[in-house]
Amino acid sequence: MKLALVVHRYGTDIAGGSELEAREYAERLAANHDVTVLTSCARDYVTWANVYPAGASSSNGVHVQRFRVARRRRLKRFADLSDEVFAGSAPDSTEEAWFRENGPDVPGLLDHLRTRGSDYDLVLFWAYRYAPSYFGLPLVAERSVLIPTAEEDPAIELSVLREYFRKPAGLLFNTFEEQRLVTVRADAVVGPSAVTGIGIDPAVAPTPRQPLDELGLPADFVLYLGRVDRNKGADALAATFCGHLDQGGIETTLIFAGPATIPLPVHPRIRALGFVPNDVRDALLAHARALIVPSPYESLSIVLLEAWNRGIPALVNGRCAVLRGQVLRANGGLFYRSPLEFSEGLTYLLTHPEEAATLGRQGLAYVDREYRWPVVMERVEQLLRDVATRRARRDG
Amino acid sequence: MPQPPATASIFDRDQPSAVLPADELMVQLQTRVRDRLRAELRRHGASEALDDPAILADVHRILQIAAERATPQALLLPEILGEPSEWRLDTAMRYQSHRGPFSGSLIVGLKRRLLMPVLRWLFEYSRDNFERQARVNQVLFSCVQELAIENAQLRAEMRRLSKSL
Repeated sequence: MKLALVVHRYGTDIAGGSELEAREYAERLAANHDVTVLTSCARDYVTWANVYPAGASSSNGVHVQRFRVARRRRLKRFADLSDEVFAGSAPDSTEEAWFRENGPDVPGLLDHLRTRGSDYDLVLFWAYRYAPSYFGLPLVAERSVLIPTAEEDPAIELSVLREYFRKPAGLLFNTFEEQRLVTVRADAVVGPSAVTGIGIDPAVAPTPRQPLDELGLPADFVLYLGRVDRNKGADALAATFCGHLDQGGIETTLIFAGPATIPLPVHPRIRALGFVPNDVRDALLAHARALIVPSPYESLSIVLLEAWNRGIPALVNGRCAVLRGQVLRANGGLFYRSPLEFSEGLTYLLTHPEEAATLGRQGLAYVDREYRWPVVMERVEQLLRDVATRRARRDG
Repeated sequence: MPQPPATASIFDRDQPSAVLPADELMVQLQTRVRDRLRAELRRHGASEALDDPAILADVHRILQIAAERATPQALLLPEILGEPSEWRLDTAMRYQSHRGPFSGSLIVGLKRRLLMPVLRWLFEYSRDNFERQARVNQVLFSCVQELAIENAQLRAEMRRLSKSL
């Protein structure tokens, strides 16, 4: 098949869940299909400043077509619009303006879909919240497959999404919770869909502790891995952990590993490492007593799968339905909804090493069963075949 | 409410049973947490009705459901309160001037270019707190709504029972 993949940013140097998923899919789909990635020239998702040159290029065997961003994001205007639309009852035109302001504004990409969209058998769109997906998908709806990467954040409540989620010819979801969320928001049976997620390669074992010793890290620690950001719940985790210790809770060290956008409290039991190279990252994942994921919004936690890939149990934010669902399906850890539950959960994992190890092993078995690349890509290919067959039948 | 379509999903298949099921562990853990919570609440003078673990579990459940349903579009009270501009917290700050077009735009420009960067920390601090307050208001609206629904259902049940006597 001739496939186009539309994503707001693309590149081997770009971090971000949906961008990573798009790249992994593109490189794997390119083995069997004629794949073109349609994307912007932006690298930074805050400003959308043009960085990459416009036009055709190639990345790891994938043909990439980049379009210039017409204007940078106006942060004040976007923040004000967010306040207005998330309060509810904003008119549809204001909600659509929110998608425009969210950007990236790539008129060339939309023109390409308008004029050349029918050249592709299927067009896959990543992340409904970005302008290329929101405004691009309706232009080729009959051949579109949406990977919404929807989370239970305020944006999902926008009323224009009811119609939007009914348009795709097919959908790929990261989790069952996301599938349910989008189906409920569409208030109708949506197109054929599959829950696929992302693949994880088996971990290379054993991983030496040496990089951790060089950093002077203690033997007993729990881990937060990822961007140290408010949106990821990192500040709430630090406060909850300090509260746990202040109340005389069981002692351990909490290590934050990832680039920080917020300051963390200075505490002898908290270590903030900032960005860490791969060898340190691997060693942290291999030797942590548990991974903690405090994020309130997720469509799929990749870091959770990575921890299970190493047989490490998890303690996750139970207010996030996706994290709660992942932990319960995998039987790979515990969840918390309050500081008291956090304290109980952490205490259990640290004082029941055999049970904690069993939870970690169950997590690994779940990853082996559901999240290896051959399994994931077979589900993706099956859905694409299904959508293409239905379209061919409809077109006669 | 439409349900997800029956298409390929990992949930369509039987999952092997776990040696250590997480849901059972969570029930044990949450029971311990509620016991600790009940003792704390009672120690600080909360109603003795909470001595009954079943009552606390029920109250906890109702408030939990309310907190999870607290999206603006799912609430009835805003409809009853009327025009949102008269009661809703406005977290966005707009640059405005009541003066004429020329001096007005000059003042708005000064506010935007000079005053706001200086006061940004104060603006962000206030906005943060306004957003938290707006969130708490929504949760309280939702709790009231949930209790009103429970109350209406109980009244209907009582009417039905009294008729059958």
